Amino acid sequence: MNLPAEVLIALIVWGTLVGVDLVSLPQMMIARPLVAGTVAGAILGDIPTGLKLGVVFELLQYDILPVGAVRYPEYGPATVAAVATAHASAGVLGLGLGALVGLVTGLLGGVTINVLRRVNSRIVHAAASELEAGDPNALVRVHVGGLLRDALRAAVVTVVGLVLAWLARPLLGGVLTVRGAVLLAVAVVATALAAGAAGTLRLVGRGPTLAWFAAGLGGGIVATLWLR
Amino acid sequence: MASVNGALARALLRLFAVQGSYNYERLLGVGVGVAEEPLLRDLGDPKYRPAVARGAHFFNAHPYLIGLAVGAAARAEHDGARPDQIERLREALCGPLGSLGDRLVWAGWLPFLSGLTLAGVALGAGWIAVAVFLIVYNIGHVALRWWALKAGWTHGARVSIALHHPVLQKALALLGPAMAFAVGAALPLTAAYLSAPFDSWARVALAIVAALSFLALRLRGDRINGLRLSLALSAVALVVALIWP
Repeated sequence: MNLPAEVLIALIVWGTLVGVDLVSLPQMMIARPLVAGTVAGAILGDIPTGLKLGVVFELLQYDILPVGAVRYPEYGPATVAAVATAHASAGVLGLGLGALVGLVTGLLGGVTINVLRRVNSRIVHAAASELEAGDPNALVRVHVGGLLRDALRAAVVTVVGLVLAWLARPLLGGVLTVRGAVLLAVAVVATALAAGAAGTLRLVGRGPTLAWFAAGLGGGIVATLWLR
Repeated sequence: MASVNGALARALLRLFAVQGSYNYERLLGVGVGVAEEPLLRDLGDPKYRPAVARGAHFFNAHPYLIGLAVGAAARAEHDGARPDQIERLREALCGPLGSLGDRLVWAGWLPFLSGLTLAGVALGAGWIAVAVFLIVYNIGHVALRWWALKAGWTHGARVSIALHHPVLQKALALLGPAMAFAVGAALPLTAAYLSAPFDSWARVALAIVAALSFLALRLRGDRINGLRLSLALSAVALVVALIWP
């Protein structure tokens, strides 16, 4: 993966914005893999690859319900790294390698979110007396500090993801046969579809909404067969 | 009036960053305090600082609906409610705002639109489907945040009235089935879209691995998740690919 400097910078900036959007600011869902992947694809001049990887990670995202203080992987910057990887390797090889890089980056991103929250906890604890005194400057300082740390975290995750993308092609692309590349792509796409279905069924439950899910599934199957 | 609207606008802007300092000690408390602060400025001494301190105490709820708590607590401060009443109001709002927001947004509006977008992309709508998702989603997102803040400020300590708003109840009733239908329809379309470049043997393998993965996630969802399973199967695929070239 050899990209012009301006493209690389644009990807890092986009990955950082996407990472911050997940939780901190403004949660407008540019962090959703569909959006993150499409824009990353546009930056690389390869929207179809961005859409394809965006769909894979969007399905994996259904596995996550971000309620309470639950811990979860971070698929936004991961999708950006995945698209950068896939762009460098055409076809099924790109899909498999891109998804693999994205999965590792997503795992790393989730770990950094947990670390950031622990760091924030210490800083809030240390500022407790100022906060209890109702000092508005201390309040804003602690809060803005958290935002800036999240931006730094998102930038680091994106850079690491892009380094993995840069390494993936020479390390794995050269040793994988066509069949090997297809196996990798099958593994990732299959688990993404399974995660999408299982995650949705967790939301749907066993009540009357299940019938709507079944109706949708049936309609989708009919449409798929009709369009073949 | 103009100053109240200005303060509400500042509070709304700050609400977009309410989770900026998310931590395990006060969860969203610091962000809630920051968002509430503009609405407390005209309390004056000696009420202002104690109110700011209360605003930054532990709080957790759905981020889009936190405006209800911010507006209600600020209004209660202006109405001269006792500190312990305001603390109880905040505590009482955590659960309902979290539950309502999770059902309305995370389990309703977001997956509904995401499912439609997945189907749109699979059917060839491309980046336009994604752009429409972003616009439509955020119309609902911003409207919900603004409504929540206004309702909280209007009702004050009696904010529970707002939680029973008929539009919210109707949306809850409609979004669950709509989400289920949209994602259900998107899954086969997406499977066809992603498997388009595969040979027939790879499609068969995809169907088998997807079915087994689905069973694993349904039966052992407490131990494994999509990411772990995907990484594990990718590792297996890589090993198989290297020893069976």
